[in-house]
Amino acid sequence: MKKILIQSATIADPASPEKGKVKDILIEDGIIARLGEKIRAAGAEKIDATGCYVSPGWVDLHTNIGDPGLETKEDFLTAAAAAAAGGFTGLTLMPNTNPPLHSKSEIDYVKSRTRELSVEVYPVGCISYRREGEDIAEMYDMHLSGAVAFSDGDRPVMDTGLMMRAQQYANGFGGLIISYAEDRGLAGNATVNEGVVSTMLGMKGIPALAEEIMVARDISLASYNDSRLHFTSVSTAGSVELIRNAKKKGLKITADVSAHHLLLDDSYLESFDSNYKVKPPLRSKADTKALLAGLKDGTIDAVCSQHTPHESEYKELEFEAAAYGISTLETAYPVLNMAIGKSLSVLRIVEKLAINPRKILGLNVPVIRKGEPANLTIFDPAREWVLERAEMKSKGKNSPFIGQRLKGKVLATIL
Amino acid sequence: MSKQLSTRNLLGIKDLTEGDIQLIFETADNFKEVINRPIKKVPSLRDVTVANVFFENSTRTRLSFELAQKRLSADVINFSASSSSVSKGETLVDTVKNILAMKVDMIVMRHPYPGAGVFLSRHIQANIINAGDGAHEHPTQALLDAFSIREKMGDVSGKKVVIVGDILHSRVALSNILCLRKLGAEVMVCGPTTLMPRYIGELGVRVEHNLRKALEWCDIANMLRIQLERQDIKYFPSLREYTMMYGLNRALLDSLGKTITIMHPGPINRGVEITSDVADSEHSIILEQVENGVAIRMAAMYLLAQKD
Repeated sequence: MKKILIQSATIADPASPEKGKVKDILIEDGIIARLGEKIRAAGAEKIDATGCYVSPGWVDLHTNIGDPGLETKEDFLTAAAAAAAGGFTGLTLMPNTNPPLHSKSEIDYVKSRTRELSVEVYPVGCISYRREGEDIAEMYDMHLSGAVAFSDGDRPVMDTGLMMRAQQYANGFGGLIISYAEDRGLAGNATVNEGVVSTMLGMKGIPALAEEIMVARDISLASYNDSRLHFTSVSTAGSVELIRNAKKKGLKITADVSAHHLLLDDSYLESFDSNYKVKPPLRSKADTKALLAGLKDGTIDAVCSQHTPHESEYKELEFEAAAYGISTLETAYPVLNMAIGKSLSVLRIVEKLAINPRKILGLNVPVIRKGEPANLTIFDPAREWVLERAEMKSKGKNSPFIGQRLKGKVLATIL
Repeated sequence: MSKQLSTRNLLGIKDLTEGDIQLIFETADNFKEVINRPIKKVPSLRDVTVANVFFENSTRTRLSFELAQKRLSADVINFSASSSSVSKGETLVDTVKNILAMKVDMIVMRHPYPGAGVFLSRHIQANIINAGDGAHEHPTQALLDAFSIREKMGDVSGKKVVIVGDILHSRVALSNILCLRKLGAEVMVCGPTTLMPRYIGELGVRVEHNLRKALEWCDIANMLRIQLERQDIKYFPSLREYTMMYGLNRALLDSLGKTITIMHPGPINRGVEITSDVADSEHSIILEQVENGVAIRMAAMYLLAQKD
């Protein structure tokens, strides 16, 4: 029998009867066997969690892995290792693969290849066949195979009619549509936020409006269709306001934000460092503030990593030639922790990382109590550390945080 | 040489102090005198090898740099490639490192991507001069423009300069704004609303969309070339309509009731942004700009070569 003993951890689980108390947790063969004080367990692997918190394992709502087709960016094994290092026991896999996850066979492939991993992988199926934005993909078949939601990944659905039909069709079997909101016509070939910074850099800008006009469109469609709709990695103050108002009206809208959009703004681009090149682009300080306010008042339900690993060949280039994205699974928590400071309690953070992501995807939420399967993340918000390139588990070393002192560290995940 | 630049690369006006700009001007004064001598050559950069690395077409900027290098007795090599062939194969860093491996001391680079020079400076030791990076900066152009204003008007400070044309796609506009502001000039930008960056006003410039009003305000008008090749989509319906709204012609100039100085970074689209009778008029300093370009580039390279 495999035994793990977590010692002196503060229980950070809003649903647990032991919430807020310092406890030992004994796990036997993946089940929480005991929850108490000063538990003795001979032969158990011990984790000293003094001063740390234990919460239900975190679920990332937005992960890019290169399997199938782009395994040199990330494969399932390296993704699982990076996820564990970053505190995630579940990853929502975006269909930005080659081929895209647009039919049952790709969903089945992901499910079968990830069954034995130390992380659960929830594939998102494409909205459109081949992710081309034209015809609806076989969403129901993918749903039966285990697709948790539908999205065209980093390609916004530009055809309003297609988004309309996708929402209506998904309603027929309770499917969830994830919207990545960007109007391509307004974004043009710009790569950074439109603002003073883009002007000083001599770059065209992507106006906040490019996102907000699509958020407004998709809220209108969801209202018309009475659909559930989730927005991933929103980035502007206007989007937060639109979503806040939609929620007030009682629409079934949810949203997440990436941790890095909470901490970083477009002033970081002045170095032309392509590690800051992300989509949606880093916005202004005012947007960052509005995103934090939205996170606090519940407009934004969850925080995602938006993990986007790349080979150095795709990133160590002139800014405009470089690919979008940051390898973030291992830093999402400290980045979030540093962005919020003391403005959110540990329990609220757990809601954003563990509880709400599962509610959005319709997954069972594990509770820390005797008899439940152990699905846990142990973390310390106060611990400071430096991210070293050589210690990153992800294949993607594209991170602006390498060499930087971060605050907040994950000690372990248990699944 | 006692005075030195505060920087070892000339990547943008952004990085220069006012003192740097004045030092470049003073040095250029000397070199301008040199290039008007019967023997135009000085040994200042003997044994210095400069590579002109151009990833984008350019005739006159490269010619001006090359002439400046030859007047300084530098050894010169030229490399040009279209950025498309580079993006397919060799990276920018590889290309430049290969050139540097042949013992080159200084790189003059033009590149279609903003910040390419800044990026390159993190990877190589040689001095870099940015000869234009996308719509970001073109520092030697801004310096020669300000130098030409100083020569014509005695001083740059307090002068009113309007930059007319495609501000969105122009590196000349951004570098000029930064340079003129550092030297105490007042700057206005004027052009079609679709070619005006939304936040340009926050750089401390006035924004005007009516050419007549802009000309009535200014002492100097810098007429930018309309660069259709830089526009991926249509920002205005036709050149004809652009000329109707923003073309400078003699009748307009004469109706102002005052004299203004006319500049243009070249090459001129005669009859588009400026008519021939304006370009060739007594108020135009377009050819002086070209001459000063050589002196300014000599000064910039000479001063950078003093920095290790």
